[in-house]
Amino acid sequence: MTFINRLKDFAVKSPWLYRINGGSCNGCDVELATTACIPRYDVERLGCQYCGSPRHADIVLITGPLTRRVLDAARRVYDEIPDPKVTVAVGVCPISGGIFRESYAVCAPIDQYFPVDVNVPGCPPRPPAIIEGVAKAIAIWRQRL
Amino acid sequence: MNFLSLFARNLRRGPYTEAFPFGPAKTPEHLRARITFDPKQCEGCRLCEKVCPAGAIRFTRTPGGMTFDCWHATCVFCGTCEFYCPTKAVKQSNDWHLAHAQGEKYAQVEHGLIPNQICVECGAKALDTAPAVSHIKPPLSAEEVTELRARCPKCRNKYLRSRKTS
Repeated sequence: MTFINRLKDFAVKSPWLYRINGGSCNGCDVELATTACIPRYDVERLGCQYCGSPRHADIVLITGPLTRRVLDAARRVYDEIPDPKVTVAVGVCPISGGIFRESYAVCAPIDQYFPVDVNVPGCPPRPPAIIEGVAKAIAIWRQRL
Repeated sequence: MNFLSLFARNLRRGPYTEAFPFGPAKTPEHLRARITFDPKQCEGCRLCEKVCPAGAIRFTRTPGGMTFDCWHATCVFCGTCEFYCPTKAVKQSNDWHLAHAQGEKYAQVEHGLIPNQICVECGAKALDTAPAVSHIKPPLSAEEVTELRARCPKCRNKYLRSRKTS
């Protein structure tokens, strides 16, 4: 039992991130790139790394209000991510719709389609706010393991 | 030489990476983030509700008065409400710690209540809003503002008219 717990503590040190762009304006995606790429913020201090394949991901970051056109693709990609996974909604669009709320072309809020765990509001959120959200997601991921 | 000067500078300055979340975060003073509301200063003009592009601000009439609600999960931090607010009752603070678990999603609200009051002159029930005094000439003194505030809108108009004639 303690061995498994130790393994879990070890695994929680390197969650891999995966981004799903659900019809975002790219503002949040730029902030996500900033969070990982520039040394001022550097999400890799938390052991996180962006991965190219959804099959390797542990934490999934969803941006954008989930337009109707991208809904089906986003659902298929989301189902490819192995459990246990933690979903983080980045920006106000996936949380509530933001300025696109009540539009016929978007499916916001995304918690109708995906089980969201952590919300990071902001338009776009600051990189430290995203890091705060990822830190919360890691804490939830540790409980799920 | 260039390398050595860079090396010395980096040694002197320390790491460039911000310490957050393992340490305190640096926040610019004029960062536009969470909306704050002061019901004492509110005029009740509801201009912020009208200009909010995301529809984050909502006023509701309740038996206790009028409530102000700003949902941070919809607010896009544009600052239009602060710009249009005549008394600066709505303000943007630089607090950006808004990340929350899904269970607290609908609790991310800035809430304020403008209470009802009884008019000292006619005894009618009216909202205890701040009087619109910025355009009045000559400017009102502090005592006059408190006198004006204790009245209902009709009696406020009457008070101002009597002040003009006297």
